[in-house]
Amino acid sequence: MFVGSLLLINQQGNLKVEPALIQFQNLQDQVQLRVVDNLGVDFTSKATFKSSDTKTISVSATGEVKPLQSGNTSIIATFGNLTATSTVNSQIDKSKVPTFEKDIQPILTRFGCNSGPCHGKQRGQNGFQLSLLAFDDDFDFGAIVTEARGRRIFPSSPESSILLMKATGAVPHGGGKKLDPESTAYKQLLSWIKVGTPRTPKSEPKIIALEITPANLILPPKTKVQVRAIAKFEDGNSKDVTHLSAFQSSESVLTSVDSKGLIETGSLPGEVAIMARYMEKFAICYVTMPLTGATKTKLPARISSDHFIDTLLSNKFEKLGLSPSEPANDSVLVRRMYLDIIGRLPTPEETRAWLNEKSPDKVRNLAVQLVNRPEYAEFWANKWADLLRPNPYHVGIKAVFVLHTWLRDAFRKNLPYDQFSREIITAEGSTFRDGASVFIRDKRTPEEITTVVSRLFLGVRLECAKCHHHPFEVYGQEDFYQFAAFFARIGRKGVGISAPISGSEEMFFLSKKGTVKHPRTNEEMKPAPLKGKPMEFGEDEDPRAALAKWITSKDNNLFAKAGANRIWGDLMGRGLVDPVDDLRATNPPTNPELLDALAEEFRKSDFDMKKFIVTIVTSNAYRLSSVPNEKNLMDTRNHSRHYRNRPRAEVLLDMVCDVTGVKDSFPAMPQDSRAMEMWTFRSASEFLDSFGRPDPNQDPPCERLPDSTVVQALHLMNGKGVQAKILSDNGRAAQLAASPVSLESAVEELYLRCYSRMPTKQEMQKVLTLASDQKLNKRQALENVLWALINSPEFVLVD
Amino acid sequence: MNLLGSRHGLSRRDCLMLGLGTLLGGGFTSSLMAKNSATGKAQAKSVILVWLDGGPTHYETFDPKPDAPVEIRGNYKPIPTKIPGVHFSQHMTKLASIMDKLAIVRSVQHDQGNHGAGNHYMMTGAPPRIPVGCGAFVSFHPSMGSVVSSEIGALPGLPAYFTIPSMTRSGGPNFLGAKHAPFVVDGSPNSAGFRVRDVSLPKELDGAKQLGREEMRKAVDRMVRFADKQVGDPALAMDDNYKQGLDLIRSKEAQAAFDIQREPEKVRELYGRNEFGQRTLLARRLVEAGVPFIVLNEGGWDHHTNIFPTLDKRLPTFDQTIAGLITDLDQRGMLESTLVLVLGEFGRTPQVNKDGGRDHWSNAMSILFAGGGTPGGQVIGATDKRGYAACERVLSPENFASTVYSKIGVDPGKILYAANGRPAHIVSNPQPIQELMG
Repeated sequence: MFVGSLLLINQQGNLKVEPALIQFQNLQDQVQLRVVDNLGVDFTSKATFKSSDTKTISVSATGEVKPLQSGNTSIIATFGNLTATSTVNSQIDKSKVPTFEKDIQPILTRFGCNSGPCHGKQRGQNGFQLSLLAFDDDFDFGAIVTEARGRRIFPSSPESSILLMKATGAVPHGGGKKLDPESTAYKQLLSWIKVGTPRTPKSEPKIIALEITPANLILPPKTKVQVRAIAKFEDGNSKDVTHLSAFQSSESVLTSVDSKGLIETGSLPGEVAIMARYMEKFAICYVTMPLTGATKTKLPARISSDHFIDTLLSNKFEKLGLSPSEPANDSVLVRRMYLDIIGRLPTPEETRAWLNEKSPDKVRNLAVQLVNRPEYAEFWANKWADLLRPNPYHVGIKAVFVLHTWLRDAFRKNLPYDQFSREIITAEGSTFRDGASVFIRDKRTPEEITTVVSRLFLGVRLECAKCHHHPFEVYGQEDFYQFAAFFARIGRKGVGISAPISGSEEMFFLSKKGTVKHPRTNEEMKPAPLKGKPMEFGEDEDPRAALAKWITSKDNNLFAKAGANRIWGDLMGRGLVDPVDDLRATNPPTNPELLDALAEEFRKSDFDMKKFIVTIVTSNAYRLSSVPNEKNLMDTRNHSRHYRNRPRAEVLLDMVCDVTGVKDSFPAMPQDSRAMEMWTFRSASEFLDSFGRPDPNQDPPCERLPDSTVVQALHLMNGKGVQAKILSDNGRAAQLAASPVSLESAVEELYLRCYSRMPTKQEMQKVLTLASDQKLNKRQALENVLWALINSPEFVLVD
Repeated sequence: MNLLGSRHGLSRRDCLMLGLGTLLGGGFTSSLMAKNSATGKAQAKSVILVWLDGGPTHYETFDPKPDAPVEIRGNYKPIPTKIPGVHFSQHMTKLASIMDKLAIVRSVQHDQGNHGAGNHYMMTGAPPRIPVGCGAFVSFHPSMGSVVSSEIGALPGLPAYFTIPSMTRSGGPNFLGAKHAPFVVDGSPNSAGFRVRDVSLPKELDGAKQLGREEMRKAVDRMVRFADKQVGDPALAMDDNYKQGLDLIRSKEAQAAFDIQREPEKVRELYGRNEFGQRTLLARRLVEAGVPFIVLNEGGWDHHTNIFPTLDKRLPTFDQTIAGLITDLDQRGMLESTLVLVLGEFGRTPQVNKDGGRDHWSNAMSILFAGGGTPGGQVIGATDKRGYAACERVLSPENFASTVYSKIGVDPGKILYAANGRPAHIVSNPQPIQELMG
């Protein structure tokens, strides 16, 4: 095995240096070496380096190579009695001088000068302001060269430029000493000032990507690996920018990275992303530290199945040394499927039928049956309501109700996910008739719509890009406002929002006018998809239709991935990307191959949500037990076991109603409604508030809180509503008590209702003994059993 | 002045008053301070943290800028306080009159400009590890209340960490577990029928008696628990919550503290007969019962529009309540052992925007400290002439959190361990704000 060999001392005698050939044209260039053996084991931090001609080329102890003059020579790396060589060809072209965009901005970015806390903040720092992370070259050039009457730069005495004196700490600098006068970066700045602070010609090739090499590492504990950052340019050239890149670890305790790109793993297993950032580009190196010893002896178990989900998950388990849990038993599984797919408990009859079912296809059969039940639509519409449902005090009661009806109907009809999305993105018509249009009554500006649409349907969070180029994102202000421009021509008629009551009707249509301007340049933006080409539209063409087409196109990977990931998260307890609507390179999926395959499957099904749910549920991975073993108890995101979770507030309240046999009643809802059917978060319910439904007093309502709390425990123990249901004369306990069935059969029925299983002999014995010891009559005994069942984790959790 | 006999030795304040500041230098005083915090002697027994959710403006509260242009200074005028030379904004009249009891820090700044991240930084003393969205509820680190619950705890039956009326975004326990999540008291203590929900069986239900339910629960509860913390079994969290719930039901102290109706009308008036006022009074009752950490989470301070008309209504009651709390604590002799804090995510933008509001601004914010051994009558740090950024004695959220921890007797430099063995300092920079340490 690969991992095992890492622990051995290199005995093969094959050491090599990367890159094997270095070419220098510029005195300010620099290259980072890596020393590896033929298996890829890194020896950079253990090797020593020597230049064969120290007048021509210098090399540091950590393998940084710099040219000093023209000439041909080599660098020799030595580890033990092994050596390897890199050939250096230095032909310094004196006509090449540093220029602003290409050479100076990367330095200001690398050393944090233009970062948020320093000169990059909106008002700068002590009068010196730069654009955040160099997104505005003109502005920055002005700030350095011309502003403050040119006192930041002294062409007659370049060394005395305040820019340099501050950076080296020669004069007091709030940001401290940032540059060493001996460093390449300092020399670069100095030489730029000496040659008269030139700008980079527009014809200069632009950087198109940053690469980090190696990009994937599987490492044992306490290991060091050097990575290199390479910039790729549009003309096909590339350049080592390791010394100008900033490195960051997503979890520095597990694996750290220093400022020069040297990675060091800690002693704990896990997965870490190491990010390199150069200018506005970034690249990620994924580091995996398997369970120690796990892969030494034998491969871990796989999930036995040829379902693609099981195969791809198992591949990951192998990589990490995880062993999957056993399959869950039938009682656990039936309860899980009902609660996950339709948000209600199976009845005792349904549970019995399932437990007696012998068909090998019983999981598929039940899944298909469940997605076709009416509760399916209520349940999944309720999930989407969290994302779209506005505050009725903002948009009006009728509008919210119309939106709710539209949502429910969409899931009842099994509207394909792409069509569902298109209807929201292109919504038109009346807020009293066309439910999807209520979304744009609530989100009223192109900017507001942009942030929601990009997050919901692409999993892209553009909020930050609204104001500045995001340091960890590929999207900038330009992208944001080009996207917003698709929503510029939404025409409105009728009564808008006028607090406190906005109950009137509003109509939306395609307007001939409407523009979105870039806040900085004031330039009118042409609509363009993210990272796409600007588009032109005639007066009668709806830009939103084109956007919807682009978003939901089968070629748009983000759309399928975001949709598939959301549904995966609903069923599996955690998204492959978490949070489910935050897909970005710096928040990578735990299993990229699986996410790709799920997206493909979702696409292939023509975005049929029911089919897709059945696909996931029929994997063996879905059926795994939550009971961990030694080799997976630390796994909280690779799905080698099922993750227990608590159903949402509405589901739980319906569960309580079902097992007690007493319905709740809600303001503004018909008699006997279920919590799942509610059309607004504003309908009062202590139960739903305790269990963390979105807070109706926030606008928009806040996210759900998944945590369990003392308040919840107390509400189940003492809450008036719950108590009244348990003790009701019309309730389950009273009715069973009045019926001729024995106490024993009645207790069995309660177990089946609450836990979807029969009590064990031991449990039954204990319950009966307690009932007689406490001198309870039949009804009291059943009430207490019901209270006790509801107040146990086995009821509240989906196992 | 008793130079050598003061409670905590020679303080920085003493040095400054004697003009010895430069002579002794920072090193000497900070070594004395370090010794003081190393002994772990708590100055405060309880903390009441008033969280103004949204990010309160520093201009209209504790850091007026009368000399700035009108689009920056806004509509309000400064007023003098009890301490000569220190000014507040015009609505802070009652607080101005007790400035001798207050310490205002005007120079905390950070780099998190949205609510989710700003709340996380101030509530936990740690910046969010990855960029988070504005409305986010994120948790990468335990909140101060949860750490106090874990490190100090409370009397049996009483949660150590309360939050009223709802949890703040990042106010959770993170890896410390559900046992240290805040106990939330919602509802309006200002209404006549106020009771803390569900801490006793509903009286109106005749049949509701315990009748051995506890034992029945033990009999039916057979679900396997995964004891290893790395598993993150939610059943364990439910067990913790269930046990705490039972303790609370049985705690006479808690039940008495909740009964705000026992409070004389005069005291209730002092705090203001509104929801915020009565919640604050409830917090004081919890302090009396021995609760070490209470957060009052007050929403509605995100004034992007019409800031002045809104604050005209809001600030006078706010001023009355906070001044009422400090005065009441003082009169009861509780102020010396109770630390009162008032803050939000960040300050607000210098320029009044086109909608007549101010936007998020983390380069400057003001934090109010009172009690818990905090020397009163001080202003610490300053922003520049126009209030753009902290420029004098620039402090971080880490310094803020370390001050709170040091005062209540938790070593901010202590290392805690998450379930997977990952170590984390309580605060990465455990340096408290020395001027506040007395």
